[in-house]
Amino acid sequence: MAERVDSRTWTMRAVYIALAFVLIVVQLVPLDMRPAGWAGPDLLLAVTLVWIARRPVVVTAPMVAGVFLMADLFFMRPPGLWAALVVILTEMIRRRNSEFRNLPFVAEWGTIAGGIIMMTLLNLIILTLLAVPRASLGLTLMEMMMTILVYPPIVLLAYFFFGIGRPAPGETGRKGQLL
Amino acid sequence: MARDKAREDYIAPIRRLLVGMIVLALIALFVVWRIDSPRVERLRAQAIDTFVPSFEWAMAPITGAANLVSDFQSYQQLRAQNGDLRRELQQMKAWREAALQLEQENAKLRDLNNVSLDPQLTFITGVVITDSGSPFRQSVLVNVGARDGIVDGWPAMDGIGLVGRIAGVGRETSRVLLLTDTSSRIPVIIQPSGQRAILAGDNTIAPPIEFLENTALVRPGDRVVSSGDGGVFPADLLVGQVVLGTDERLRVRLAADYERLEFLRVLRAQPNELIGDPNGLVGPEGEFFGPAVPNGLNPASLTSNEVGDG
Repeated sequence: MAERVDSRTWTMRAVYIALAFVLIVVQLVPLDMRPAGWAGPDLLLAVTLVWIARRPVVVTAPMVAGVFLMADLFFMRPPGLWAALVVILTEMIRRRNSEFRNLPFVAEWGTIAGGIIMMTLLNLIILTLLAVPRASLGLTLMEMMMTILVYPPIVLLAYFFFGIGRPAPGETGRKGQLL
Repeated sequence: MARDKAREDYIAPIRRLLVGMIVLALIALFVVWRIDSPRVERLRAQAIDTFVPSFEWAMAPITGAANLVSDFQSYQQLRAQNGDLRRELQQMKAWREAALQLEQENAKLRDLNNVSLDPQLTFITGVVITDSGSPFRQSVLVNVGARDGIVDGWPAMDGIGLVGRIAGVGRETSRVLLLTDTSSRIPVIIQPSGQRAILAGDNTIAPPIEFLENTALVRPGDRVVSSGDGGVFPADLLVGQVVLGTDERLRVRLAADYERLEFLRVLRAQPNELIGDPNGLVGPEGEFFGPAVPNGLNPASLTSNEVGDG
């Protein structure tokens, strides 16, 4: 009853790390060096938020910090800022996790969308205040909208491929603990 | 029974403390980066140097799949491609004749001048390993680094034209900042008018020209090469052609093939010698042939001011 972490949790943690690794590597592959005029969704962020909203025990704060710090270093972003904002957002979502189970999906999506918008705006404001060269406003906002829109498909994929869904009331893990 | 309340009372504050410390550490890293960027960038280069070369096995299936898809698409267009290639081959043959004649003329003229080519522009060839990973930064990683003698600031070309410059060197890898990146600024000369301008990247495939004095002397089709302004970049590296963009700005169509960047040449451009001690330039002290001088006054040590005033 006291343990919240069982062997299934460790398996799902390994799956999350592997998924993060694949997402980072896919973006690094040098296929076409021409600059694109449009920005796709931030899949790493969307996947992390789905995992946190559904199974917060699996993704711990140090793991999120580590993954996003590595992403910051590889993708030539100012190191530490985006990672810190993501950790703060995931902690806030983690605290609301038990409320999400009773609310319809749209409420969860709306909260996540609000969180992503706040995070992007904070990032923009801090980078502009500190006069750090950053991407154009249009591309950043496009990426933010795409990340919000891609959240429901990622939820479906997570459910069908990895079995990550909302815990039913009374659902227990391997050790008999309530999820 | 919901959650174990007693346990939560112990764990929750410790957890909050841990998360707070993590967030503070990340923000501290960002502040350190803002204050002392080169140090943190070196740390970033080392982190990339350690991890990225080991990702190559993971990238192989993706590259293979992409090659498969592009091969299938080109298989569909084989016939049209065949016709295009034949026409291009004819044009290339004509150009080859012109190139041979120019080469002979060049050799004769050089003989006349006894000019030797700049021996400083040797190059190291590297393979592109990764992209920058995000649509906001345009840079690539090549597999040559400090152990091959790469130094920050050296230009990188592909077979045809300038591609970018080295910005960040690890032990086995180094980062090339492409000309299309928003923080790339290259001093260029536009021929034949000979005007100097700056090529500023702005995340599009045709970066605009800035600080051009007389736009009337420049027309689309003019050749753009790097000037050696400031001594930071060697001169006469082909950059591209001037085009008129849809926003009525003069832009440059880059000669390098950004779609198929595989091999890069990193040119060894030595920086200009720094002159720190002006006395050595004027002439060696001590040797002075002339009439006897009074004791204690050595004319060779007089500054040019005093000599000029006399």
